[in-house]
Amino acid sequence: MNDSDVSKQIQQMVRFIQQEAEEKANEISVSAEEEFNIEKLQLVETDKKKIRQEYERKEKQVDIRKKIEYSMQLNASRIKVLQAQDDVVNNMKDAAAKELLNVSGDHNVYRNILKDLIVQSLLRLKEPSVLLRCREDDLQLVESVLDLAVQEYAEKANVHAPEIIVDKEVYLPPAPSDDNSHALHCSGGVVMASRDGKIVFENTLDARLDVVFRKNLPEIRKQLFGGAAA
Amino acid sequence: MDSFKGQEGIQMLLTAEQEAQHIVLSARNLRTQRLKQAKEEAEREASQYKSHMEDEYQKSLLESSGSSGSNVKRLDEETEDKINNLKQSASKVSNEVVDMLLKHVTNIKV
Repeated sequence: MNDSDVSKQIQQMVRFIQQEAEEKANEISVSAEEEFNIEKLQLVETDKKKIRQEYERKEKQVDIRKKIEYSMQLNASRIKVLQAQDDVVNNMKDAAAKELLNVSGDHNVYRNILKDLIVQSLLRLKEPSVLLRCREDDLQLVESVLDLAVQEYAEKANVHAPEIIVDKEVYLPPAPSDDNSHALHCSGGVVMASRDGKIVFENTLDARLDVVFRKNLPEIRKQLFGGAAA
Repeated sequence: MDSFKGQEGIQMLLTAEQEAQHIVLSARNLRTQRLKQAKEEAEREASQYKSHMEDEYQKSLLESSGSSGSNVKRLDEETEDKINNLKQSASKVSNEVVDMLLKHVTNIKV
């Protein structure tokens, strides 16, 4: 081979080496781009998914908290309404209790009431010997109807006239006054007990009001608050 | 003469080979860099997304606290109304009820 052939061959070889290198570099660069895209996409999707889940969880918590708060407020307002119902009804009872004081004012009517109370108490106890307690102010009225009551009971129950001992040492507390409205008081009526004190029948006006009130409460509530009261 | 020319030729080939290696090496380096960029760009996109989500979240918080405030007010007003109605209907029948109670107390069945 002559010089020019050799150098041509060498130049060819050099070009070949260069071409191979450039082709290889190209391959690398193309696959690098692909890998770049895939890698970036995967990373972004994974992170986004995590972030989405995190915020979904946060929103759910907020939602739950809101629901709990609302339900608490609903409960609070229900309780308010129930409390108001209770107050309204108790106010009526208090109004009635006030009116009770007038009952013992009319002596004629009251005397009759005392007599009936005594008869009723005797009928309930059905004891041959009883203790009777009344208010100090009512003592006279009570004693004035005692015999009549005993007779009425004996007839109705078909028994011998029982013995009634009126307690003159301990009396029922007096009518309530403005300055001691919280102290023990009695609006009238009697308390009767068997001789041994074991059976006691409270037939005071106040006790009767309690019983009547409690018995009629469902009806009163229905009238006031309609059907299912909350 | 020949060996000298031969040396030149070999030198050229060696140089070409070195350059070739450089070219491939650079390409590989670029690839590595590209992958790093992928991570960085992915992070940037992700944090953009996150701050977008955060803004939406904050917005929805404001909305819901506003609406729950008005809910509470509505509830309170409804309760007030109920209680007032209660008191009104009570005062209408109050006297009747009191009379009924007194009647039962003073009517004694023997």
